[in-house]
Amino acid sequence: MRSGSVRGRRCGVLSLRTSSVLPAVRAAESSPPRHPSAGLRLIVLLLVLMIGGTTASAAGLEALPAVPVPANNPQTPEKIELGRTLFFDRRLSGDGTTSCASCHNPEQGFGDGQAISLSYPTTRNWRNAQTLFNVAYQQRLFHDGRAASLEEQALFPLMSAFEMNQNLDFVEEELRSVPEYVAMFTGAFGSPDVTRERIAMALAAFERTLVSREAPLDRFLAGDEQALSAAARAGYALFTGKGRCSSCHAGGNLADDGFHALNVPESPEFERDPRVAATRRFVAKVSGFEEYRTLAEDPGRYLVTKDKRDWKAFRTPTLREIARTAPYMHNGIFATLEEVIAFVDRGGGEGNTALRPLGLTGGEREALRTFLVEGLTGPEPAVRFPKIP
Amino acid sequence: MIKNVPYKYRDYSHIAAEASLAAGDQGKYWEMHDLLLAPGARLDREGLVQMAAKLGLDVKRFAADLDGMKHKDLIERDKALAVSIDLYETPTYFINGRKVVGNRDFDYLKKVIDEELAGAKR
Repeated sequence: MRSGSVRGRRCGVLSLRTSSVLPAVRAAESSPPRHPSAGLRLIVLLLVLMIGGTTASAAGLEALPAVPVPANNPQTPEKIELGRTLFFDRRLSGDGTTSCASCHNPEQGFGDGQAISLSYPTTRNWRNAQTLFNVAYQQRLFHDGRAASLEEQALFPLMSAFEMNQNLDFVEEELRSVPEYVAMFTGAFGSPDVTRERIAMALAAFERTLVSREAPLDRFLAGDEQALSAAARAGYALFTGKGRCSSCHAGGNLADDGFHALNVPESPEFERDPRVAATRRFVAKVSGFEEYRTLAEDPGRYLVTKDKRDWKAFRTPTLREIARTAPYMHNGIFATLEEVIAFVDRGGGEGNTALRPLGLTGGEREALRTFLVEGLTGPEPAVRFPKIP
Repeated sequence: MIKNVPYKYRDYSHIAAEASLAAGDQGKYWEMHDLLLAPGARLDREGLVQMAAKLGLDVKRFAADLDGMKHKDLIERDKALAVSIDLYETPTYFINGRKVVGNRDFDYLKKVIDEELAGAKR
């Protein structure tokens, strides 16, 4: 439909609402965050092994393995289709205006293209919506890694007061009242019951289908040298060499599942917006952070572990499809890859110990960017939009 | 062209839409629009009637239009149109039919417009 001057607004005064409260954030960790130096040791070893050898699996990059699927939630066509339908259904939000796809839009790299994610009306989020590309490979979910599986992750945004603000008891009944959904749950799970656990399992099953594995890098790692242009190959060499990017952006998914404190700058916009302050304090409060009312920055992983080494540490994101998923970092502070590369090149944010200056030339920074854009961008995702019952 | 999409969970959203259209009937749509969006605007019936008086409208007629929900059918049609084009978030832009959701800066909108212009020329 050609444009319109369709002017919608949510006018009116604030009214009191019953807010869902985020579930208590789990502090337990199955394994400690991996230290960057561990990745460096691995890279040194691999570099020694590859001298005179081929480029494939060099310096920590390797072919993407098969999608890991938990034994208690096997993939079936019926479950994936149910998950797809739920993913696009605005019923999952309290006011019926927001679906998972609102912030994880297939046409925006499964993000929303905004510095900080879309928010429930009258509230503001405080972190960037992450891409769902290859989310199946992540061992921990969210920027701070507070969920250990997609099944655990899926219900957080539904309940979050500043995201979808839905009540889970209510949404179960809402879906049970739709015959088509009852039939879909029966097809997916063998019985008609609609439960929050099943909603999460179906969403997770759909999300495990959102995989980028046909980028030029994949062909390059399979032995096709021409899959990358000369400029992109130069960027690849920097990525796995002087740039030390693959210290953390390693493996098939270009992520180490670790948490690193790069001391990314706080957004000046956040300091001005009381709604962001409210969100930050709310999350800190439900995370058991005692000084939540004076908290003026994002503590990152610390809110989960309470380990001071995790202060302002965030999970290493995948770089796959990175060209589609601007802006970057947990708070979207960098609008372009050029800005991100410059930040890493100068050794990250003030006081951090995870990075050190790289001394890249302008040409090297551009080569890195070329690799990230050309090498890691696969075919446009073909997501079929479901009919919502 | 103006369409109304009052948010269903705000107490005064619908009546504010009625007020803007009732003021429009008396030639003061934009003046009322500005008052409605002013910081601290009081949007209950009494507040809206006070705005009408401030704008020099025929207050009796304005209040009758509000109370009679004169423009209800038009507003409901607008809401149905919004649903039909999957419009839920504010702001949402349609640039040559391409949907852009959320607050966007100049550079982002320029990029979309440039892409659409380039596509149109092909």
